Amino acid sequence: MAKRKSKAAGKKPAAATTQPILNVDGVTLQYKTKEHLITATYRVGFDVYPADRFVLLGPSGCGKSTLLKGIAGYMKPVEGAIRLKGNEISEPGPDRVMVFQEFDQLLPWKTVKQNIIFALHNGGKTNSAAEAEEIAMEYIQKVKLNGFEDTFPHMLSGGMKQRVAIARGMAMEPDVLLMDEPFAALDALTRLQMQKELLQLWEDTHFTVLFVTHSIEEALIIGSRILVLSPHPGQVKAELNAHHLNHDNVGEKKFAEVQQHIHDMLFADRILEEEVKPGAQG
Amino acid sequence: MRTIPDVLVRPEFEETELSKAETGDVARKLTLFERISDMHSVRKLSILVMVIVVWEIYTRLSGVSELILPKFSATAEALFQGVLNEQLLEMVWNSMIVLVTGYAIGIVIATLLTTAATTTRFGNDILSTLTAMLNPLPAIALLPLALLWFGLGADAIIFTLLHSVIWPVALNAHVGFMSVSETQRMVGQNYGLKGLFYVAKLLIPAAFPQILMGLKIGWAYAWRTLIAAELVFGGSISDTDDGAAGGLGWFIFANQMDLQIASVFAGLFTVILVGVFVENVVFNAIENRTVRRWGMQAR
Repeated sequence: MAKRKSKAAGKKPAAATTQPILNVDGVTLQYKTKEHLITATYRVGFDVYPADRFVLLGPSGCGKSTLLKGIAGYMKPVEGAIRLKGNEISEPGPDRVMVFQEFDQLLPWKTVKQNIIFALHNGGKTNSAAEAEEIAMEYIQKVKLNGFEDTFPHMLSGGMKQRVAIARGMAMEPDVLLMDEPFAALDALTRLQMQKELLQLWEDTHFTVLFVTHSIEEALIIGSRILVLSPHPGQVKAELNAHHLNHDNVGEKKFAEVQQHIHDMLFADRILEEEVKPGAQG
Repeated sequence: MRTIPDVLVRPEFEETELSKAETGDVARKLTLFERISDMHSVRKLSILVMVIVVWEIYTRLSGVSELILPKFSATAEALFQGVLNEQLLEMVWNSMIVLVTGYAIGIVIATLLTTAATTTRFGNDILSTLTAMLNPLPAIALLPLALLWFGLGADAIIFTLLHSVIWPVALNAHVGFMSVSETQRMVGQNYGLKGLFYVAKLLIPAAFPQILMGLKIGWAYAWRTLIAAELVFGGSISDTDDGAAGGLGWFIFANQMDLQIASVFAGLFTVILVGVFVENVVFNAIENRTVRRWGMQAR
């Protein structure tokens, strides 16, 4: 459990030779509601390395989803910079594919296969129809949806829809796959299954994924590295390793210890938040 | 005194073999009667048959004058004669040409208005103000003005049709675009869609249920307006078309003048038939192939 103040300098594992694929540098994000200007994150910084399963973990209001939107290019930071392979991000693009929590992220007028082909064609992955078809079928098989390729999304269950979204994202082979609480709307059994399958998919190609969640358990299972964010506004609280933990460790002592440690960190914030609230809310 | 019940601890059990024999029919085929009575068309048709039977019996037994309410059989006969001898089909065709012309031009104008309203705030203000002002105005009320501006003829009717098509189509399309979910918008941008591609490949299909509803309302308004216009000014308009038979409204108008009431009924029937055909066959087919297939609209 390393406690770090400087974000860029402190990377022990494999940092000597590898460059970060994504660099978030002192990023402050703000958005407007009808009445308020909300600071979602304040000077957040972290590096994501290739093959990372990087998790943004925090309670609601810590700006983790906003941060992901900033990385996806839907929002511009008011301070700091987000760089992908050294180039500053200015707009959404197919090199950072987003998997959303909402089931309506699949285009309802396209079948499972057409949804993936739509992404491949418009994202500039391939212009050839045959090649797109081939890639689409490959990824449909990877997420175990063989036989459903010509089904329209409204006929699929929630878990199947999320699988299609993941297949669509992975088929683009983005530099980094952004996942915004993709399993939060699923029932507990399906969620467990999906977490396992995501890890299996990662074993195949070691793609880089940035995963947002508010579940400590999910963070420990999915993540290889966890960025813990404190709320109002979101600030970096800690960066922890979790590459040694997965489903098999749930219930074990070392798992429970890390879980408790993170819980304490977030719980401390809760108390702080409660104390600050009356003045801050205005 | 109220007693609080305790948990009753019972022995546990696990089934080792589930028998399939005694569970009865898991899936039973529907009987022929069940399947036929489930068909919408059959149920609607049987009501229609009932109305016709009541109509026929009433006119035969009550001895009501043919000039007030002709028998159904007489109406059917007049419809048959109209098709054979009175160029009824040609009149329907004439009406359709005017209607489709007005409908098409109306959709083009509505598309331009919606594009302006979706892309600029000024366009948005224009559309909402014009719609609020002009939508409550029945299109047929513009006909006298249209006749003054365009003279007697198809142009005047087309102008009135435009009014009945543009507002519902533009309004619905605009509402449709506005209500496309934020997630779907972000998905489109994520895969690099911009400008016209973004509108054509994402916004239009995503808003298609509302767009289609606008098209349907626009069609229904236009059809009513057309018949009304032909009825009121049908005589004078058909006179200007050299040798042409005039429209369907004119058929009704002219037969009423000649006291051919059965033919008037036949004309009304034709209006209904065309309306039902377009709504239940043409639009239904479009819906089945699009929004229903995509699960974007309840059945």
